[in-house]
Amino acid sequence: MRSPLAYTPRPGPLQAASPGAAVAYLGALVTVAFLYSSPLVLCGAGVAAVLAGRLASATRAVRAAVKLGLLIALPIVVVNALVVDRGATVVARLGEWPLLGPVEVTAEALADGAVFGLRALVAMVAFAVYSACVDPDRVLRALRPLAARSALTAALVSRLVPVAAADAARLRDAARLRGPGAAPVGKAPLARRLLAGSLDRAVDVAATLELRGYSLDHPRIRRATGGFSRPGRGELATRRSRFDRRFYATGATVLLIAIAGELLGADAFRAFPTIEVGLAPATLAVAALIALAGLAPLRRKPRCRSTPVATAPGARPLGAPGA
Amino acid sequence: MPETATRRRPAPVLAVEGLSYSYPHATAPSLDAVSLEVAAGEFVLLAGRSASGKSTLLKAACGLVPHFHGGQIDGSVAVAGLDALAAGPGRLAAAVGYVAQDPETQIVSTTVSAEIGLPLEMRGDPASSRARAIEEVALALAIPHLLDRTVDTLSGGELQRVALAAALVTRPQLVLLDEPTSQLDPVAGDELIWLLRRLNEEWGVSILLAEHRLERCLAAADRVVAMTSGSIAFDGPPRDFLAWSQENDPALETPAARLFSLTAIDPLPVGVRDARTLLASRVDLPERGTGPPPNVFRNSANPAPRTIVPAPQRMRERRGSGAPLSARPLAARDLWVELERNDEPHDVLRGIDLTIAPGERVALMGRNGAGKSTLLKAAAGLIDPVRGKLEVPGGIALLTQNPSDFLVRERVGDELPGDAGLAALRTVGLEHAIDADPRDLSGGERQRLALAIVLAGRMKGDELPGVVALDEPTRGMDRSRKDELTALVADLAERGAAVVVATHDVEFAAEFAERVVLLGDGVTIADGPAAEILSGGWYFATEVARVLDLPGVVTPEQGAAALREAGS
Repeated sequence: MRSPLAYTPRPGPLQAASPGAAVAYLGALVTVAFLYSSPLVLCGAGVAAVLAGRLASATRAVRAAVKLGLLIALPIVVVNALVVDRGATVVARLGEWPLLGPVEVTAEALADGAVFGLRALVAMVAFAVYSACVDPDRVLRALRPLAARSALTAALVSRLVPVAAADAARLRDAARLRGPGAAPVGKAPLARRLLAGSLDRAVDVAATLELRGYSLDHPRIRRATGGFSRPGRGELATRRSRFDRRFYATGATVLLIAIAGELLGADAFRAFPTIEVGLAPATLAVAALIALAGLAPLRRKPRCRSTPVATAPGARPLGAPGA
Repeated sequence: MPETATRRRPAPVLAVEGLSYSYPHATAPSLDAVSLEVAAGEFVLLAGRSASGKSTLLKAACGLVPHFHGGQIDGSVAVAGLDALAAGPGRLAAAVGYVAQDPETQIVSTTVSAEIGLPLEMRGDPASSRARAIEEVALALAIPHLLDRTVDTLSGGELQRVALAAALVTRPQLVLLDEPTSQLDPVAGDELIWLLRRLNEEWGVSILLAEHRLERCLAAADRVVAMTSGSIAFDGPPRDFLAWSQENDPALETPAARLFSLTAIDPLPVGVRDARTLLASRVDLPERGTGPPPNVFRNSANPAPRTIVPAPQRMRERRGSGAPLSARPLAARDLWVELERNDEPHDVLRGIDLTIAPGERVALMGRNGAGKSTLLKAAAGLIDPVRGKLEVPGGIALLTQNPSDFLVRERVGDELPGDAGLAALRTVGLEHAIDADPRDLSGGERQRLALAIVLAGRMKGDELPGVVALDEPTRGMDRSRKDELTALVADLAERGAAVVVATHDVEFAAEFAERVVLLGDGVTIADGPAAEILSGGWYFATEVARVLDLPGVVTPEQGAAALREAGS
């Protein structure tokens, strides 16, 4: 089974956009998540990321990221509540703990942890949308002129990780199929076998790369006339998409709103000593505007022009004056 | 002076001279004084048993040997005028393309277009010329619809075409292929061979193809080179090769050639058409079967009509019309299995009804993705059906496609401890290897060890589990190893286990199976005696069946008997 985070080509604006535009757009949402502590604004960024994923048909990726994000957020909240001893509203006294001493869980520490968890959740959803919608080959092609070998290494990793996952599933099946009289396979031998298989695969891939000309020493773009140069206009055009402007503009707008909001005091949240969540118009406006940024991958329905039905010579099309 | 005398012979695309090679730490050389030339535009078939040196020769021709593998080498290899031993695979890549047995191992990128364009990108070609080359090679291989797909959504046949496209995109003069059809179903395998022939004829690409299933590609070849123990034992036209193999290595004979040699018809035939032509002038054949073959390739939107061939008397007796389902080693009723394919739920099995009798030898056949492996996995409890009933009362031992997945320890005895382990080893004839390292066993022995691992503990004393199932066990096997497997399967069935083998190999199925269940897109489209199913179609038919087209005649021995009867 494919990973829900695996890239799937679909005819959506986000998939068609160049990697730079997609990164600018989704990166802006992640930046907001790390810039703000206001739960309202963080929720706005989360809504935007989820909406973007849904509009880009990456619902499975979003769902998987939300599940995983909650699994990560929950321990953050718990650990924060246990280790942070600030806050005025004690909700539980857990007595003396080794290393931690007396543990009192406060509502403020819980809220503080929840903000950290929410931040991680937003970042994970945005990454999941990126992973499912942005063609890794395009990303690496874009990076290749800067660092050819690193880009290729990253390409191999992005290819070999799902292959290793498939190998692991196969090995697990084989372990389940072993007869009850055969020695059981623990996790360590299975991991060793998986590692050995991955190394074999790596050798095969290395051989393939040799055959594809990896050892040749001119990975840069070469003009037809010879010599090396920066990519030409035509080449750049093939890398761009008509949706790029939309995503660059949305990303820039999100950042501008976030900065303006910070300057206007929209990030009004304080966990300690007591919880204070600002609901000022600026905060609400920033949260709402950032949530609206999730509509950027929306695809407009194609406009159909009514074309006249084939008619006999001299006949007027239906609806034409005098018809 | 006549023109022919002045015309120079074109330089060979591949010239190997006195090549000897040993892998690092190997005790014996893999190639021993090999000399070979492949002319421009020639299609050469490389035949030979497993470990005869075919793959090593191909690797030497593309520079992987010795540049990638190391080892000791003597002699010379020239590819399109380049010294391969000096140039290395990177520089040779413009002149030679290489396609390996398992396309999975040579895919590097995520999308098809990126994978095909990678060699050009490595070469530094500009985007515009890359785009054109990708488009052209995709059109030539009939895969333009795949260009935007991710590689992990492709079938085996599609993946093999993508690997071939990546090898061809630089327009090499020579393409080397190492058993490219071993993982493909008969349809995709035949398509690939004829695609190679078309590329050879239209583009003038020289082809050097190593294959075990010679019946599939002999007719497409201009010349055959047979290897034995690292040396070239034969080099000549296909028909002469058949005569040579008849005398020197019958394991390399094609089924049609064996049919002719059993009936003492000369010359031996190169392919089905040749065999028919030769037979037509010599033997008065009984009337050929008429009507279209069963259509097994329809999609779900247009389901194929079921062709249920009546079972012979023995099978009907075994299945027992009135016996309860629980008395059968395997009984499936209206079985539906759903899996995710391309992020969408997909019915892989759609209402399968199947009962198998004790001791029955069943071949499960069909195209890639027809549902064969899924059916076996469902029977073994790895996948839960969404609807229907599936009973395996006597238990099932399933050996999946890759036996190495079962080998995780460094001593055979550690994999199979105790009496149950020893009994399983005895069943597969490996009790002598109890102290061996599984990695030191041959391919066939590793497969038998894996079979022992799935059997261990499922046997009551020497009694086998109700069903022993093998999924694609003949991948990459030569005929002698297939014969060993056939004997093992027969022995297991003799001892009362129902043996079910999912396979693409029609010749192997004809040898071992008494019943064939043909699946197509998750439904049973034919179920009956092997001799009838394998003689009633074009693709899922043996070479002898395609030559003679007589109902129930699938093996050379059956064909020879039919011809003798026709002659008497």
